[in-house]
Amino acid sequence: MKKFGKLLTVCVLLAMVVPSLAVLAQEGQITLRVVGLEVVPEERETPLAIAKQAARTRFMEAHPNIFIESLETPPEFDTQVLVDLAAGTAPDIWYQDASTLARLVDTGNILDASVCLDLVPELTLDRFSEGMLDIHLRDTGELWGLPDGGTPMVMYYNPEAVAKAGVEPPTSDWTWDDFLTFAQMTTLDSEGRNRLDPNFDEENVVQWGFRVRKWTFEWIYWVWQNGGDVISPDLTTADGYLNSPESVEAIKFLRDLVLEYGVAPEPSTLDQLVQQFGFLEAFLRGEVVMFPRGHWEMVGLTNQESYTPERVAVVGNPSKVNDVTVIYESGWVINAKVAEDPDKLLAACQFVEELTDYEYQSTKVVTGLEISANREAAAAAIEASAWPEIERVFVEEAENGRRNYGSIYANWPVVEGILDSMMENILAGADVEEEIAIAVEEIDRELQRSAGG
Amino acid sequence: MERTSFLERPFFQTGPRWWRQFWSRSNERVGYLFILPSFVHLLLFLVVPLVFSLYLSFTDWRGTNFYNAPFIGTANYEFMLGDRRWWNAMANSGYYTLLAVPLGMVISLMIALVMNMKLRGVNLFRTLFFMPVISSWVAVSVIWITLLDPQAGIVNYTLKSLGLPTVNWLGDPASAMPSLVLITIWKGAGFNMVIWLAGLQAIPQELYEAAAIDGAGSWQSFWRITLPLLKPTTFFLAITGVIGSFQVFSSVYVITGGGPRGATDVAVHRIYLRAFESFDMGYASALAWVLFAVIFAFTLLQVWYMRRREEASLF
Repeated sequence: MKKFGKLLTVCVLLAMVVPSLAVLAQEGQITLRVVGLEVVPEERETPLAIAKQAARTRFMEAHPNIFIESLETPPEFDTQVLVDLAAGTAPDIWYQDASTLARLVDTGNILDASVCLDLVPELTLDRFSEGMLDIHLRDTGELWGLPDGGTPMVMYYNPEAVAKAGVEPPTSDWTWDDFLTFAQMTTLDSEGRNRLDPNFDEENVVQWGFRVRKWTFEWIYWVWQNGGDVISPDLTTADGYLNSPESVEAIKFLRDLVLEYGVAPEPSTLDQLVQQFGFLEAFLRGEVVMFPRGHWEMVGLTNQESYTPERVAVVGNPSKVNDVTVIYESGWVINAKVAEDPDKLLAACQFVEELTDYEYQSTKVVTGLEISANREAAAAAIEASAWPEIERVFVEEAENGRRNYGSIYANWPVVEGILDSMMENILAGADVEEEIAIAVEEIDRELQRSAGG
Repeated sequence: MERTSFLERPFFQTGPRWWRQFWSRSNERVGYLFILPSFVHLLLFLVVPLVFSLYLSFTDWRGTNFYNAPFIGTANYEFMLGDRRWWNAMANSGYYTLLAVPLGMVISLMIALVMNMKLRGVNLFRTLFFMPVISSWVAVSVIWITLLDPQAGIVNYTLKSLGLPTVNWLGDPASAMPSLVLITIWKGAGFNMVIWLAGLQAIPQELYEAAAIDGAGSWQSFWRITLPLLKPTTFFLAITGVIGSFQVFSSVYVITGGGPRGATDVAVHRIYLRAFESFDMGYASALAWVLFAVIFAFTLLQVWYMRRREEASLF
């Protein structure tokens, strides 16, 4: 019994002393909880996963007092991070899709990363692509996170299908008129006649020139190209913007591609076209010649059964008044709470510097998901890429990239939903002016409500 | 030393008069103790969230911490009055209810009548009809999306084989909602069938025997005996059906996403979009309360109608 008592005493003492020693040993140790370095289980051991872990290890070796606790990205992260911020359990740094950045900025929970520019002199803004930096940087000087990577929307086309139509591939200096002619000439019936042929068989189209869909992210830059916009720059009204002659003309042009010129399938025809094998397979089989999309689609295309490099090419979007496209991006944001501890703030700034520097960014090219926001890494990726010509177009088009409203207007998902519905109705044959008028009224109500009006 | 029970100790015997009176009635206090866990559960997980969501409906909560949310009075409700999408969604919910509730009740009653017969293997069929009820909405939705596929779906294949025109079931605004109703009826018929069966089996056999002696046929027995005596069951199914139909969400979310062209955008789907895609919690709460009021009003209307019918039948 006595022995047992002694043993118990020793155990209790150890239980008290060991944690205290551990705490002492960790004195000066900083832990940063980071979301965005882990990959989904099916991507483990891929070059992307290896690149991310290498960056983490490299950073911790260079900064022995900083531990990077890498957390899995939970499902529905956009919602989860808001809940975590409310609960005070949000990570210190996370990878944030810029399409919902404004919402986070409005909550006041993310750090103005311009403080990092003073704390870490190596971190300079000239390393970033202007279009992607613009998503995070405000005119008033705030820097809501740092850009990591993104993609401009470009035009994918199938060179084999173009050759079948006996047409020369498009070049980056093409205009809307060139685009229309190209789409007409590459839309073929079962006899190989194109849309400009008076004997074209409407009932037996086997190859469509283009694809138009309702989604705003796929058409907003057509409005910009024509000198129009969907809402005012000060985010107060859609009146005079969405219903401006320029915007109406652009929307009508897109509608006419479907309903007037017949170079793009109607939504129901498109649905049926893609039912069996999916759109990408239909594209690779030459059933649709062109479609607008971002860099991420390369991954989807290369995974298709019918993929061969000869069937995929990209070109910049055709221009009209402006040569512009929309750019979608994700970046690293820092929790505002980190600023409460100066050492932790410095560590966080150092880590985001590492995550946006050339060394890490240049390893990401292998993913094919996006182009780097780091200018130098993006340029180097052109040669390192498995498809250098395609990569070059993306990098060049990124220079014409413009941010979408999701990064500056928190209620953008609602407005985007209204625009999607508007376009869906227009593509189904509804009156353009009437649909636009309804959308303007609805959007103005939302904008006024957001402004507290 | 005299032993006293836990509840008779001085701690419980002091305090204000109402408290002492309460503890002096031993039967009552034991009763309250029994319901305490349920009461606490109800308070925490029902009453508090209800009151909280009512409060939220008067705020413009779009951020992370609700205590920072500005109080805006009835502004959310005023905004809702001019919200075309909301009223379109409410109209769609009404259309869905009008289709799904009567059709679902009639079809499930027909099934129940057959399942109430003394047939061989009837229990197996009852189980088969009930199986969709216990299946997940997501799995059911995926199966129906495949069946209703305009090109490769078995429904259109059958129509084509019979020389009939095919339909873009879920892609055409005119057919999308009826398609959803069809799926809902298929999934819910088993549950309604069980309720109808319980009602049918509660009808005394003697009534049918007496009717048969008086020369009533099966059709007359159904109209004069079965249906009137199923009134409480009909009432129950109608009320729960209307409530459930106004709250339809899963099938819409998985199968159509509210499309095409907003034809299946129902009230709860719209609330979901506002709450969890736009994080506009204040407005979403206001919409939820309006939906509650509408459902409540419909339920009261049904109760009032039933009472009136019962009173009328007395004279």
